[in-house]
Amino acid sequence: MYKIMGRASSSNVQKVLWCCAELGIEYEREDAGMEFGKVDTPEFFDLNPNRRVPVLIEGDFVLWESNSIMRYLAGRHDPDGRLRPADPRVRASAQRWMDWQLSMLGPQFTGLFHGLVRTAPEARDADAIAKSRDLSEFNMEILDTQLGKTDYVAGDAFSYGDIPVAIHVYRWYQFEGIERKPLPNLERWYATLCERQPYRDHVMVGL
Amino acid sequence: MLKILGRATSSNVQKVLWCCGELGLAFEREDIGGPFGGNDKPEYLALNPNGRVPTIIDDGFVLWESNSCCRYFTAKHAAGTLYPDDLQTRADGERWMDWQLTICSPALVPVFWGMIRTAPEDRDMAAIGKARDKLSTVMAILDGGLKGRDFITGSQFTVGDIPIGIAAYRWFAMDIEREDYPNLKAWYDRLTRRPAFREHIMQPLE
Repeated sequence: MYKIMGRASSSNVQKVLWCCAELGIEYEREDAGMEFGKVDTPEFFDLNPNRRVPVLIEGDFVLWESNSIMRYLAGRHDPDGRLRPADPRVRASAQRWMDWQLSMLGPQFTGLFHGLVRTAPEARDADAIAKSRDLSEFNMEILDTQLGKTDYVAGDAFSYGDIPVAIHVYRWYQFEGIERKPLPNLERWYATLCERQPYRDHVMVGL
Repeated sequence: MLKILGRATSSNVQKVLWCCGELGLAFEREDIGGPFGGNDKPEYLALNPNGRVPTIIDDGFVLWESNSCCRYFTAKHAAGTLYPDDLQTRADGERWMDWQLTICSPALVPVFWGMIRTAPEDRDMAAIGKARDKLSTVMAILDGGLKGRDFITGSQFTVGDIPIGIAAYRWFAMDIEREDYPNLKAWYDRLTRRPAFREHIMQPLE
């Protein structure tokens, strides 16, 4: 059985939990990070010197970086291609959206998320939040444009490419008191995902 | 012929150039981005709405995000070698590709901007020094990951070595203090013996 270390509120841990649920993978989860601590211990450093969650443990094999964990699990447990597209170009496209979440969507979302969710109102930096909102909306428009051409990010079937971005899109639609441009394709795709049990169980859990 | 859109000085374009060099893939490259501009034109944004480089066009297939481009090429042309068959070995290398995006690049960028993209008289050396210290702790993590290995996944060079190899070149080429990280240095020396690394990566920093 796999062990996953990481708190269930972490967007990166949620990627792995969602992925496991889609593929019927059994695991034991141990809370770590933020209020649960553990990431500052020497034992955790030996597992992940970056002191981040999630960490996947499979016997002697220890893997960190949530997107790589998903690709690994899909490589092992996805004979039907529920997450891992069979076509190499579709697969590359899916992986591209995973990278994009790491390089663009995620970092540009942080100001908004931390500002609204992890910071007391009196301590908020309104400018930083506004900037992050603008960048995030631009990124949502990029997704919306793609989803006007394909049903899911990489093509007409759901893939692991949808997972990282969908976690941020859930959060985007939960924030209170921000402007959000109507984006019909994004809204259609999001509504479809809201019907997926693994998304409901592991991602749609509040902020 | 494979088309690569992006200036050859971009670290992300260099991932794709080095990868093509390792695979012996012919390509045509067009200078886009930085001083060359072109990345804010509608024709380019239609290909890559982020306005970043590189973007590749492989027989009609348009792809951006340099790490995905490298996995796409190595899976296509080097399955079993640069793109490992063993899933744990493959994941082992891929984690360092993600790590370059999530941890390494954010630590490298402030030092790079301070030392390479800012005129000496305009540099905030205190801020650059702090950023360098942070980058050093990140290089220490990579040094730890290379312990007992010739390359990041073990005895063979794989696609996982590419993004971090480019970061390592910048670490070693900038005029900054560097602590001794022996595993990092030994691996880096091995990379400098690869012709494709020398041709595409070991270029003046701009």
